[in-house]
Amino acid sequence: MAFSSALVLTDLNDYISPSQACIKPVEVQKKENAEETSIKVNEAGTYYEVSMDGTEEKLESASISLNDCLACSGCITSAESVLISMQSQEELYKILKSNAEAQESGRLDDIITVVISMSPQSRASIAAKYGISPMQAHRKLTQFFKHTLGAHYFFDTSFSRDFSLVESAREFVDRYRNYMANGGQQIEAARQEQEEKEQGEEAGAGKVKQRRRRGRGADGDATSAPTSQDMPMLASACPGWICYAEKTHGFILPHISASKSPQQIMGSVVKDFFANQLGLRPNQLYHISVMPCYDKKLEASRPDFFDEQYQTRDVDCVLTTIEVDKMFSEQNVDFPSLPEAPLDELFNKVSQSPTTQQPTLYGSSGSSSGGYLEYILAYAARELFGVNDISSNVQVQTAKNVDFTEYTLKSDDGKAVLRFASAYGFRNIQNVVRKIKNNKCTYHFVEVMACPGGCINGGGQLPMTDSGDTNVSAKDWISHVENIYRSIEGIRPEDNEAVRALYRYGMSCDFILGITSLNQPIFLCHLSEWIGDVTSERAKKLLRTQYHAVTQNLANPLATVW
Amino acid sequence: MPRLELVAQLKGHNDRVWQVAWSPNGNMLATCSGDKTVRIWANTSHSDTSKWDCVDVLDGAHKRTIRSVAWAPNGKELATASFDSTTGVWEYEERDKEWECVATLEGHENETKSVAWSANGSLLATCSRDKSVWIWEVEADNDFECLSVLQEHSQDVKMVAWHPHEEVLASASYDDTIKIWREDDDDWYCSDTLQGHTSTIWAIDFDKTGEQIVSASDDTTMRFWKQYKPNNPEGVATPGNAPKWKNICTISGQHERCIYSVSWSKVHGRVASASGDNHIKVFTEESSAQAVNAPTWNISASVSDAHGVSDINSVSWFPTEKHSDWLASGGDDGLVNIWRYIDDDV
Repeated sequence: MAFSSALVLTDLNDYISPSQACIKPVEVQKKENAEETSIKVNEAGTYYEVSMDGTEEKLESASISLNDCLACSGCITSAESVLISMQSQEELYKILKSNAEAQESGRLDDIITVVISMSPQSRASIAAKYGISPMQAHRKLTQFFKHTLGAHYFFDTSFSRDFSLVESAREFVDRYRNYMANGGQQIEAARQEQEEKEQGEEAGAGKVKQRRRRGRGADGDATSAPTSQDMPMLASACPGWICYAEKTHGFILPHISASKSPQQIMGSVVKDFFANQLGLRPNQLYHISVMPCYDKKLEASRPDFFDEQYQTRDVDCVLTTIEVDKMFSEQNVDFPSLPEAPLDELFNKVSQSPTTQQPTLYGSSGSSSGGYLEYILAYAARELFGVNDISSNVQVQTAKNVDFTEYTLKSDDGKAVLRFASAYGFRNIQNVVRKIKNNKCTYHFVEVMACPGGCINGGGQLPMTDSGDTNVSAKDWISHVENIYRSIEGIRPEDNEAVRALYRYGMSCDFILGITSLNQPIFLCHLSEWIGDVTSERAKKLLRTQYHAVTQNLANPLATVW
Repeated sequence: MPRLELVAQLKGHNDRVWQVAWSPNGNMLATCSGDKTVRIWANTSHSDTSKWDCVDVLDGAHKRTIRSVAWAPNGKELATASFDSTTGVWEYEERDKEWECVATLEGHENETKSVAWSANGSLLATCSRDKSVWIWEVEADNDFECLSVLQEHSQDVKMVAWHPHEEVLASASYDDTIKIWREDDDDWYCSDTLQGHTSTIWAIDFDKTGEQIVSASDDTTMRFWKQYKPNNPEGVATPGNAPKWKNICTISGQHERCIYSVSWSKVHGRVASASGDNHIKVFTEESSAQAVNAPTWNISASVSDAHGVSDINSVSWFPTEKHSDWLASGGDDGLVNIWRYIDDDV
């Protein structure tokens, strides 16, 4: 299937489609007046070009990076998995080992600052496996990474997700306004009219749910819209979906939200802002994220997230929950008996609970895939229609299957003003893509995720623990992990002080410093100065990204004319 | 001894013929080819069964070979599966008196190998070299919705076939297995995997009751499979409370090479096979009430060099009583042959 094999890494086989070829062109630098040469290989396996006069020149070996492979749908399966394995815990061990050596020999400047950013889905998966709370898991993981392994910081991507949510919502409102000003107004009015008509018909006919046979629609259907690249907006946090869209559906890329994912915003924060705060260069930090998904490795290795100047990535290495769990046994650590370390104060979503007065983890409400749909819907309802509490105005309906749900925001006079949907899994992605291609998509936003069940069921999550209880199905296990994830209360990004500072919701730096409830006022003040004006080019670079259609320009060499 | 007699030879395709398919009432025969077209043929004379005309050519929609063609049960729509990875859906326009491609289904990563409509025409199944089987729901306005993408075959999927009455799908693969697919409350799932063939399974067909399947393989055998429902009197275990399919009979030694196609008559119950050994053969089941779990199939007719020295890719029995003795075949020679099964003893 066209998803990268990383999604199904556990199900690898060595079948490489014979008609598909690697499109990585090997560049041959032709020299002027080339004379006859020979090639020689030394004991180390290095190749040399020997010219007539006997001078030897070392030949460069062709290297194929993970990103080259991303740009090609040629060889996938094992070859790709080998490349992905370069983003592994082994790389982390290497850094930690050289840090220890530097420490011993007093080369303190050579110590690389190791930063871990953990996703809340991975934390829930680990908490589920070991039967502990997310807070316990968070503290034990802090202990493991900082004290057992020697990493320096342990952060939570719930922090950066708030920025991703706000950026996505801001982008959506911009797109919607642009769409309405360019013909969208008429399209929406026609759709609402059509809908009223249909509702009248349905009320009269009495709807029976059965497979519909084809009927011919009226010619010149008023609901079919002229192409707008603003609507619908499609979520961009799922790298499996992005990879698939870039490889097979170039036309859809303008619809994909340009806002960075939580992982990549964390990348910007750590390598740009945080490095600066520490007085370090970006390449003096090694940034690891822990994710529920193998495809996040692909995301981290996109050239868009590579810093040419310092030759470093915003996220150097992505480990899945499965790989982190494997590290416990590799390090001979009995995870449940690890002590619970104090939380790192920066870059998390921890506040004092108003009820218990204890430090408490917070997350985002909505889906366990980040809650994009819910947040954008609430934000847009407020910004565009002045609806502050959407709970009574939103109609939720399961469409074709459990992984496709529609959310409709109705205005006070009953008109559908915003149509959102969540579409998880390959089959539902097909239908979204198909609807957009045929100009029949009436949604304004779709939370697209490649995995059925969304991120909580990501390919990198821990499988069901074998309790010997055959009554627990894989589905039950997923809902168990989901419940643990949901035990973390969601609070709005607007109520997150860091986000408020960054977006300066009417706050000056002096004002921020004056808020006594903030844990880190000076830090937040700096964070707010870091981006500056959120509409600036700099903010765009830090918070948004772009997508590139992959064109396979090499003719299929084995495709004979049948 | 019964025999197959050539009734007509239909010339028109410029490349090999991949599949032949009778319209549900038998009035038309659709054939698809490496020449990227579908041709519709009809016996245009009431008295002369050897007189056939090509009444329509469907072209322009596919960029590569059309590997498979299937009639919707209403006889007014056709689906075509092409090596260009797409599936076309065609509708007969009464107004213009011609076939028009009204929808293109995309999604397969590479060559689509087979397409089939469910018994009531509400579902469409396709399969591909990308190892997947897709199920589409037919919606209003020539729209199709993907219901499921099934990725359990480990190799190229050669053919899909629907149960004659129920929403149950069978698929045959290069991984030497047949898989049976059913729908639960949320998605389609594989309810059984039929193992036994030792090489690629090229073709499958249900009998008219849907209780049995015949499969044709590169291992030169044909196998008959029977389904045992939960609580069956034979005591066959049915894991997951879904019917279990068992191999109840194997025909071997009849073909020397790969068997590419098999057709089980829904009228008289005979099975026809077509092979790379250039033979078309017809088999008849020995009638015996005791043998329901171990039937015996005997060869009744055989024709050699049915398409000269070319491989025969497809055979299909006429669907209704009217000419139930007719058998259509298509081969690498680009020809479509219409045969009559003649049993002088009757």
